[in-house]
Order: sequence, then structure tokens, then C-alpha cells
Amino acid sequence: MRAVSPSEITRADDRELHETLERVWGDRPGLVGWITTTDHKRIALRYIVTTFVFFLLGGLNAGLMRLQLSRPENDFLGPDAYNQVFTVHGMTMMFLFAVPMMLALGLYFVPLMVGARNVAYPRLNAFGYWVFLIGCLLLYTGFLTNTGPDAGWFSYVPLAGPGFSPGKRSDIWAQTVTFTEVSGLIAAVEIIATVFKHRAPGMSLNRMPLFVWAMLVTAFMTIYSMPWVASASLFLASDRLVGTHFFNPAEGGDALLWQHLFWFFGHPEVYIIFIPATGLVSQLVSGFTRRPVYGYPVMVLANIMQGFLAFGLWVHHMFATTVPQLGSSFFTATSAMIAIPAGIQIFCWLATIWHGKPQFRAAFLFVLGFIVVFVTGGLSGVMISSVPFDTQVHDSYFIVAHFHYVLLGALFPFFGAVYYWFPKLTGRMLSERLGYWHFGLFFVGVNVTFFPMHFLGLAGMPRRVYTYIAETGWGNLNLLASAGAVLIVGSVAVLLVNFFRALRRGDRAPDNPWRAETLEWATASPPPSYSFLHIPVVEGRSPLWERSERRPVVTGLSTEVRDTLVTTLVDALPDSRHYDPRPSAAPLYAALALGITFITLIFTPWGLPIGGAVFFLGMVRWAWPTLRSYREQLRYEEGKA
Amino acid sequence: MTAAFDPADRADLDVSGLPTTVFGPRDIMWWGVLGFMTIEGMTLVVAVASYFYLWRQPGTWPPEHTLLPSLGWPTVHVVFLVASNLVMMRVSRVAHRLDLAALRRWMLVATACSIVMVPLRWLDFLALNVRWDTNAYGSIAWLTVGLHGTLLVTNTAEMLVFTTILHLRPTERHFTDAADSAFYWYYMTLVWVPLYVMVYWGPRFL
Amino acid sequence: MTTALLALQWSGRHSALDPFGPQAGRVHSLWQFLWIVAALVLLAVVVTLLLATFRRRGEAPEEAGPRTRSAVATAVAGTVAVLLVFLGVNFATGRAVTLPPDDALLLRITGHQWWWEVTYPARPPGNQVTTANEIHVPVGVPVVAELQSSDVIHSFWPANLVGKRDLIPGETASIWFRADSAGVYRAQCAEFCGHGHAKMALLVIAEPHESFDAWLVRQRDSARTPADSLARRGQEVFLASSCVMCHSVRGTPAGSRIGPDLTHLASRRSLAAGSIPNTRGHLAGWILDPQRIKPGARMPANALSPPDLEALLAYLESLR
Repeated sequence: MRAVSPSEITRADDRELHETLERVWGDRPGLVGWITTTDHKRIALRYIVTTFVFFLLGGLNAGLMRLQLSRPENDFLGPDAYNQVFTVHGMTMMFLFAVPMMLALGLYFVPLMVGARNVAYPRLNAFGYWVFLIGCLLLYTGFLTNTGPDAGWFSYVPLAGPGFSPGKRSDIWAQTVTFTEVSGLIAAVEIIATVFKHRAPGMSLNRMPLFVWAMLVTAFMTIYSMPWVASASLFLASDRLVGTHFFNPAEGGDALLWQHLFWFFGHPEVYIIFIPATGLVSQLVSGFTRRPVYGYPVMVLANIMQGFLAFGLWVHHMFATTVPQLGSSFFTATSAMIAIPAGIQIFCWLATIWHGKPQFRAAFLFVLGFIVVFVTGGLSGVMISSVPFDTQVHDSYFIVAHFHYVLLGALFPFFGAVYYWFPKLTGRMLSERLGYWHFGLFFVGVNVTFFPMHFLGLAGMPRRVYTYIAETGWGNLNLLASAGAVLIVGSVAVLLVNFFRALRRGDRAPDNPWRAETLEWATASPPPSYSFLHIPVVEGRSPLWERSERRPVVTGLSTEVRDTLVTTLVDALPDSRHYDPRPSAAPLYAALALGITFITLIFTPWGLPIGGAVFFLGMVRWAWPTLRSYREQLRYEEGKA
Repeated sequence: MTAAFDPADRADLDVSGLPTTVFGPRDIMWWGVLGFMTIEGMTLVVAVASYFYLWRQPGTWPPEHTLLPSLGWPTVHVVFLVASNLVMMRVSRVAHRLDLAALRRWMLVATACSIVMVPLRWLDFLALNVRWDTNAYGSIAWLTVGLHGTLLVTNTAEMLVFTTILHLRPTERHFTDAADSAFYWYYMTLVWVPLYVMVYWGPRFL
Repeated sequence: MTTALLALQWSGRHSALDPFGPQAGRVHSLWQFLWIVAALVLLAVVVTLLLATFRRRGEAPEEAGPRTRSAVATAVAGTVAVLLVFLGVNFATGRAVTLPPDDALLLRITGHQWWWEVTYPARPPGNQVTTANEIHVPVGVPVVAELQSSDVIHSFWPANLVGKRDLIPGETASIWFRADSAGVYRAQCAEFCGHGHAKMALLVIAEPHESFDAWLVRQRDSARTPADSLARRGQEVFLASSCVMCHSVRGTPAGSRIGPDLTHLASRRSLAAGSIPNTRGHLAGWILDPQRIKPGARMPANALSPPDLEALLAYLESLR
């Protein structure tokens, strides 16, 4: 039997193959390899670590806010600091953590789950990461130099416009958005092309793991939604920099145009976080009940339905504006309707658990916590789709409670995935006991922090206030919420301890510690640079649970160059082979050039020609084949390599 | 090859005979081109949506004391752009035939066409007869023409680099890439024609 | 009177759970319906989850069968049914609260960073009343407020009376409400508007018809030249200082409309848009160092000698 994982090698020719593939797919050692790598696993891991660091920083911002609000008329933070803190908190959690983290999990695991050796465009993938990193650094450089955006993550005009936000704070908002959206769009294109064309033979669309489906839907949503905010931020930046009038009512512009553009992106954005989370839940449920998820076709359809509906409800963020009442009824109906696919998913998971054999691992506890927290958030979501009810709670702490239930609802599956996939990423097992503590503290902390906020909102507390007078009577519930935040901080501290403990002396992880069904478990933990010694041929929805005597694999790919297999879109039949370029520093140069362009544009319109010229040089460097790779490609095309 | 593949026969699957040069949706890079077309297309959709949204605001379109856009050069440009597709069809055809000499020739012609359109785009801006900072009408008109202009300019830069590489270090891969750049050109034409109608004729009828 | 009730005199009630008007009342009933349904749904999900997880299982693996399918289908149908009921109740509430009232009292609210300008239009225009951060309404009479903004987006939210509505520059929105009993209701800005967002409140004072009319008549008057000599000297201090750059006191040369109209300042209950009670001590603190009370406020600090301050306070307190 041919090996798929290096740990299964029994034959001498497989051992030789392992060494050859390591040479071809491996990176050069040291810093050069670190800079030039185009290995999707290294890049995605980098994304994961970066986004996690910003998750911690975003959490720190939240802690500062809870400290400030813990009692009335507190003078720990003034409005200038507080406005930056809450804006940067929102931007961090949305643009630097939740969305890129989900896309990063996709970039790491989608290729492994579909049996590919790399993503479709490896250099572009590296470029996307570097651009993302520049965006993160820009935001926090601004924040730490007291130039953090301070008009909210939604950056409403005219407050964020030229008239009411002098200085560079809003420009940092606009360019951070540009950087993160560029990288998000790149990740989406990578995921779509990898899923469509790099699936292992036999993995027809109806055999793809549910996480892959979820990421596919997410990637499409990304492509259709992110250009809206990217364009809106371009409009805003040009209003501020060159005096256009997109949002200036005095010259025919309109302030509400911003809200339409922003929420046409902003609402799908929430589902860009939530849909991958449902994919994670599906993998966790099947992994820890040892059952395929019940109702595969309707689960896929539910994701697709959510993807479509998410574009039809942006106006429910604008019920307090002057949008016409009749239109509002439509958006109430669509907003409430999104509960149907979510309900279908919940019921199918419940059915799977019912018929399965639950393994009470830390990861599974997070699934249970997810269902409780997410359903709570979903129910308050249905409530606020009602126009009359929303006019009361809109922009109040009720909304803060609602969307934290939904978004932290998506954080539960993420933490579950951390316990599930940490062994694959690092080759070490996390402590289950610390995992229970992490879960317990987090579950209690989330509810103690956010449940009281529903009542704060109903009691009249508006969002985004840096303080409140004692006479409002909001002090006690705010103190309770702040106490809950302490528990959340504690839970994350336990997770960090667990990480460091596992990395230093955790148990070695086998290939498939959970005896799960999908292909990422078919290779070593962590996977070798080439991912699969032989690309497996897939014969069902649960490749590792199929009881087959002999597992067929793909042979005949070149072992001298990075040769990849391209399959057909629907049935994943082998169709052609594709030469993947060597690792290169060009993506880094191009990203730096793009960084120079956008950052110069904060200060002067000349950034466009200057940056354009620098970027052109970067692209030339990227496109130009070295003599070595030129010869290699010629040999490949002649069939000699 | 593909017809012979049946996972049920449980034999290993030898893919060494698969082609390495394929065109269109069979090729992986084609999907990347399609992806970026979709993204760029979405930004143009945002521009069109904003254009009509701003037009619906109170006041006339174009606003008072604002001249209508001129039709001369923009029309010359759009006719030239449509006609240049004949060149790109040739490019695509010789690329599919794997005819390197012909491809080199036609890519030179195509690059020249692309270069000519850069000054034409500048004349498109002047023909708007309004500055970007005069009013919201001027802003959205400049933005729409400008967004498509960035496609034109980056495409020109790309064609320059590509044609140079084609002459110095050609591989079979370049036939596929040339076909993709013809595909992209069709797309650029397809999106510009409605934008041209909206920006230059729209204010006359709206 | 207890301190809590005293506090209500200047800070007002502020809660959607404590309705005093027809719309807030309907929405409050809607909320009670919503939370009961939501609690039942959540309970059903949690019970099913616990059963599914902890139920006793046989050794042999169980496969999902037709019973599973019908259970899931029933649950989905139940979800749809609950949503349809929800939509019905919601639309009924929506119709009830948006019906426009006849013969309403009209007033105009303009949002500024970070205070509310309030005018009661009247004919002849000389009878128009302008005040700030406080509106008076007669009990039981529908009121239509026209909402505009002079700078950024604000939002008007008297939670005990009605839900909120945004004040958007370049547009005029309107909202109606009715206070069914006398009281002080607080409306805090609900759309983030910059530094002073947390300190931008407005009091809605609902009072019997007669006292409302009396108030309106008093507000039409210009300020009288004070009889008391200290206050007269205070007026001189006021007119000679930078106060007049932004504020107006009708009946004096001070006529700028950048900041709140001070003609009847002493009749108002709070200062700095609902941030502090309108007492002598707070007023002095506000004049000397507004940034300490409301960081970012447009009003600059004023260095006044103690006698000047004393006189100015006497003058401002005479503006009843």
C-alpha cells in the first residue's frame, strides 16, 4: 500500500519519494526561507498567529472599556482616548481578527481537506499576507501614536469626513480597511480556485467536507461584499484628500449613501465570520460524535441560503434613519427569514449528536456552548428585525449584547477548532483539563458580561458613550458586565498557558488523534511541506472512515518540480497538470510597494503616481522569470521534469 | 485519460500523461483572472449604484451651472476600444494554435493599442467638462472614468512586461496567458460600453 | 422628597421598560411577547441539546432514520410558524405606532455638537420660542418634532415615550410622541457624534396644559434688565466677555446663535446638555472650566476674577 502520510512509510521507494519531495517543496533554511516561502501552511499559520495577537490586543481594548464603564463618571479614560479605544477594538476584532482568522483557517485547512499540495496561487497568497500585516501595523502605529481612528469601526460620515475629523485618524481607518480588504479578497480568490480546481480525484462537489463548503460560500460572499467597503473607503479618502463631494449634502452628495455602501458590506461581513463557524461546528460535531453530520445536502443549502439572504438585509442597520417604511417591512421579513437556515443547521447538529456517541473533549464542550450562546444571539436578532422594537433598542447596549452573543457565538467554534486542530498545526496535544477550565470560564464570562447589556440597552444606555451619570442607574449592571469581562480575560489566560505548556511539553500528536473523517488527518502532524506523499483518491464523503482494502492514490506527478494536479470542477476528474513557481521574495517587495502607495496616499495625492511606479517595479520583479526557473519550466513543458 | 479514470477499480491513478498546457476554464490561472474581473466588476457596480443614488438626490442632473459632458473623444475612444477586440481575437487564435512567431507579432500590436488608450483616457476626463471637486456629480463621474482608467493603465503595464518576456524567455505557459489577456480585454470592453453610455449620455437623458 | 426623586427633577426617567406614551407602551408589550417566546425557544433548544448529549445509549450504533427526518422537519416547520406569528405581531405594532396624529403641537429640534437647539414655531415669527436641551410638552397632546442637524448625525431618543429617530444633515426627519402623564423624561443622543456624545442629553418635561401654556408665554419674553445692582454688573461682565461670541440673550446686544440661547437659562433644569444639575455651584464650575465637565465641548475656559464671577452668576440666575 502506498503511503499518504510520511508516518505510514513502509516501502523504500516511498522513503526516497519523501526525501525528493522535501527537497522540491521545502523552503530554504533560515530567514531567506521565512521571507520567500509560498507554502500555504506556513503562510496561513502566520495569518493565524498574527490575527491571534491582534485578538489579544483587541481584547485589551475591550478590557480598557469595561474598566472605564465599571462605574458612573469614571475618569480613567476621557472621550478622546475612549473613542479611539472602542473604534480600534471594533476594527481589530472585525478586520484584523475574526474575518482574517476564518479565512486563515480556510487557507490552512481547505487545501489539506481537499487533498491539494498548495493553494492555487501560492505567491499571491504570500502577497496577501504581507499586505495584511502592513495594514495591521498601520492601524496600531496610528493607535499608539494617538492617531487611532476615532469615528467608530463603521466610520459614519459626516463625522469621519473632512469637516469633522481633521488630522489623519480617519485616513488611517480608510487605508487599514483597504489593506485588509485587499488581503481578504486575495484569500477568497485562493479558496475558490483551490476548491474548484485542486480537489483530489474523486472528491466531487457533493463529497466536499462541510467546512470546505462553508469556506466556499464565505469566499463568494467576500468577493461580492468587500468591494463595497473598499469603494466606500475610497470615496471617503478622496472626500478628505482631494475635495470630492460624495457625502457632502451641500454639493449634491449624501450622508446616507455611506450607510448604504457600508452596510451592504457590513452585514454580509457578519456572515463571513458566522458561516465558516458553522463549518467548524460541523467538523467538530462529526469529529466528536463519530458520525457524519446529519442532512448533508440541506446543510450545504443552508449555507448557500444564508449567503444569499445576507445581502438582502443591510437596511435593518438603518431603521432609525429616514429610509421609507415600506422598504423597512421587506428588510424585517428577510432579517427574520435568516433564522430558517440557521434553525435547519441547529436541528441537524442536534440530530447528529442525538445519534452519535459524544466524546466529552474540550472541543466538544465548545460546540455545546456555541449552540446555547448562538441561539440566544439569534433570538435577539429576530427581535431587532422588528422596526418598532428596533427603534427603541437601536444603537443601545441591547445591540451590543446581541452582536456579541452572535460574534462570540462564532468564537466558541473557533476555540473548539483550536483544540481540534492545534495537534495538526503543531504536532502537540493541548491539555484537556486546562481546556475544561478555559471553556467554563469563557462560557460563564460571556454570559455574565453580555447578558446584562440587554437590560442596560432597554434601560436607555446608548452605545459608544465613554461615561454616564450616576442618576441613570446603569452603574450596577455595568459593574456586573465588567466583572464578567474579568472571567473572559481569565479564560484567555488559561488558553495561553495551555499553548505554552503544550508547545514545551505537550504529548506528541499522532496523524489522527480524534479518528476524524477528513483528509487533513491523513497526513503527519504537523504536515510535511508537500502535505501528502501521494495524493489520495477519494471515494466518499468521509475518506478516512471508508473501509477499503486498498486505498488508491495518485501517481505520476513530477518529483523534480512543484507539479500540481488540476481536476474538473464538478466531478474532480483529473484534467491537467500545473507547474507551481518556486518560492520568491517578490510578493514581499510587491506588498511593500503597495504599502508605500497607500500610506503615501494618506498625506498626498502624489502617492498614486509615486506608488504606482514603485508597484510597477514590484510587479516586474514578480513576473520576470529567473534563468533557473525559466529552464525548469521549459523542461517541465517538454515532459522531462 | 479522464475517461479511463474510475476510482472503483482501486488501481493507483497515473496522471503523468495529462497535458500541461490547457486553455480557458480548464486552466487554473483562468480562474484567477475571472476572480479579479469579478472583484473589479463589483467596484464598478458600486460606482454605478452610487451614480444613480446621487442622481436621485434633490436637484438637477447635472447640477445647475455644470456643462454636459462632450461626446467627441470619448466616442472615438469607445469605438477604438471595441475595434481593438479584433486584434485580441487574433491574439487568442494564434495563442490557441501555439504559434509563437505570430503571437509575438500580434502582442506587439495589442500592446500598441493599449498604449494609445492611455492618452485617450485623459481626453475622456477632460470631456467630462466638470472638475471632481465641483460637486457630487463631478466626483462620481471622475471616479467612474478613473476606476476603469486604472484597469486600462495596469493592463497596459502588464502587457508591456508580458510582451517583453514573450520575446526574451517564452514558454508554453505564455500561450495560455495570452489567451487570458484577450479574455480580460473583452471584459474591459464589455464593462466600458455601459459605463460610457451612463457617464456621457446619461446626463442628457436622466 | 428623597434624593432619588430630586435627581429625577434634573436627570429625568430614561427607560424603554417604563413607558409613559402610547408608542413606548405598544413596543413594551411587543418586548414582553418577544422575550417570553424567545425564552421558550431557548429552553426547548437547551433541553433537546442536553437530552441529545446525555441520553442513555445502547452499544450498537444507531442510524438516523425516518423519525429523525420527521423530527427535524417538524422543528423547521415550527421555526417558520413562530417567525410568521412574529411578523404578524410586529406589523400590527408597526401600524399602531406610526399612525400620524391630527392637530399635533409642532416643534423643531436641531442637533449640534453637542447640544440640542429647540424651537417652537409660531405666528407671528416674533412669538417663536427658542431654547436648548429641554422641551416642554403638554400632557396628553400629540407632539410632532421635526429633526435636523447642523453638523453630524445625532439621534433623538426619549425612551419612555417613543423609539429613536436620527437627525441627519441635509435631511429633515420627523417623529411624533405623546406623554400620557406629567414627568421629566430624558432623551440621550443615540448616534455616535464625537467627543461629547456621552454628554448630549435633552429633557422632555411633560406638564399639565395650563403650566405648559404659562411656560410658553414666559419663554416668548425677552430678558429684562436686572433690577439688582450685582446682576446688572454681571450683565456688563457678560456683554464684555467672550460669552457673546456664541450665546444670545434676547433683549441685549448678545445675538450669536453658535451656542445655546441663554435668554431663560435659569428656568432650565440642567446644564451642559443634561450633564449636571442647574445649580449655582455647577454653573460656576461650568463657566470656569467646561472641559473638566464635558471634555471636547466647544465652550472655552473663562478666567474670571471672583467678583466678576459672582456678578455673572447673579446675572445668569436672573434669566428666568
